Amino acid sequence: MNEKQRLWLMFPTKLVTRPVLWELGRQFPVITNVRQASVTEEIGIVSLSLEGEREEIKKAIAWLEELGVNVEPVEINTIEG
Amino acid sequence: MDKPSPFFSNLKCRECGRLYPKQAIHVCDFDFGPLEAAYDYDAIRPVLTRAAIESRPHTMWRYRELLPIDGEPTVGTQVGFTPLVKADRLARALGIRELYVKNDTVNYPTLSFKDRVVSVALSRARELGFKVVACASTGNLANSVAANAASAGLKSYVLIPADLEQGKVLGSLVYGTNVIGIHGAYDQVNRLCSEIAGKYGWGFVNVNLRPYYAEGSKSMGYEICEQLGWRIPQHTVIPMASGSLLTKIHKAYGEFARLGLVENAPFAVYGAQATGCAPIAHAMKRGTDIVKPVPKPETIAKSLAIGTPADGYYAIHAMKQTGGSAEDVTDDEVVAGIRLLAECEGIFAETAGGVTVSCAKKLIETGKIPRDGSAVLCITGHGLKTQEAIAGKCGEPRLIKPSLREFEEHVYSKDTAAA
Repeated sequence: MNEKQRLWLMFPTKLVTRPVLWELGRQFPVITNVRQASVTEEIGIVSLSLEGEREEIKKAIAWLEELGVNVEPVEINTIEG
Repeated sequence: MDKPSPFFSNLKCRECGRLYPKQAIHVCDFDFGPLEAAYDYDAIRPVLTRAAIESRPHTMWRYRELLPIDGEPTVGTQVGFTPLVKADRLARALGIRELYVKNDTVNYPTLSFKDRVVSVALSRARELGFKVVACASTGNLANSVAANAASAGLKSYVLIPADLEQGKVLGSLVYGTNVIGIHGAYDQVNRLCSEIAGKYGWGFVNVNLRPYYAEGSKSMGYEICEQLGWRIPQHTVIPMASGSLLTKIHKAYGEFARLGLVENAPFAVYGAQATGCAPIAHAMKRGTDIVKPVPKPETIAKSLAIGTPADGYYAIHAMKQTGGSAEDVTDDEVVAGIRLLAECEGIFAETAGGVTVSCAKKLIETGKIPRDGSAVLCITGHGLKTQEAIAGKCGEPRLIKPSLREFEEHVYSKDTAAA
């Protein structure tokens, strides 16, 4: 069953120039949809929707994290003090 | 079902300004920007006068036209209107002309400012028909949701990291809430919570009810203005976790000025964090609005230890726009701040209070807050909640045998000699 997840991605300096989302699209059968982005020399921040099979989305997120991208659901800060 | 409020009109995206209905939603479909409550200020202006406010009970709900519910509040009706203490002794210690402490250590019922946000979130949850409310928290928020849900007869779930200290868990369990410990890293717990909120239709106070929850913080700003004799303070120092409280106090001051309840005088807001988790303060000091996450926060100020602050960007803009700034302090300075506030004013604050006091000290010493100015410190939770942070750091009792000779020899003669 297809589902959609809304995520904030934060790219560290070493990944700012790498075409990470293109690579992700080639490796996993998920639909990437960028909704907002801010990229500087130092850091990249992207709001992204990922659509596909739940397991494929999970694998795509694990791949991003392995690469060094910080991945958070748009509902960040769910745990508070 | 309550009739829609004529004052609280919509939810609105803080990024693109798109309007949304007043449902349990919190993110803009277009750009994922956060949604915020929007009001019809022209409708509020003739109704919410100083006289009207002063005629109402001393709770945060005396400003109810500016809070996002449709009917009368049903949860936490006694919350708020905590003392604004004129802190002359602390002012002398910090070297500033005039200082006030907004004392939410005595907020009702769970001794922290979280009761403000929870009473709004749960009142709205009831209006929206939720039968189950929940939150993910490591402390104050969990206690407040558990207590307020209990008194309102709502079923509640509190999700916590599995390794949380027993003392903190007890402060929620006592209210009969369902406490669920989750094994896993911070971001995994985050993801689970957002999935639960979506799948089971629960009212998660800081997920799908977040626009309502966050607005409760404004009441602290309204109270400060009223208690100062209907004026906005020149300088306000506010602890930052997600940065939400700072942005909402900024909004509150702006709303009061817009409604003509206070003079539209210049004011500045300052953010306080602990050095072990200071993503917002560090971004502010670097002169950027890009907040770099802190993957592993390390500080005794656990209630402020949010590594990816959702409102960091907006907090930075509020500080910049008002000419304020941010500061951060070490754990030793946090303890010193707690002791200074206790010794000068008789107020025992949790670690976040120590952060605020010590950051204010630095801001005054560096001239960012002028010594001839007037400032308010927002103290947000009671020290009984974080006693372990200062254990062994406030000295030890002197032990004597039950005899007058011992008292004279070991206490009285030494103290009079020292004086």
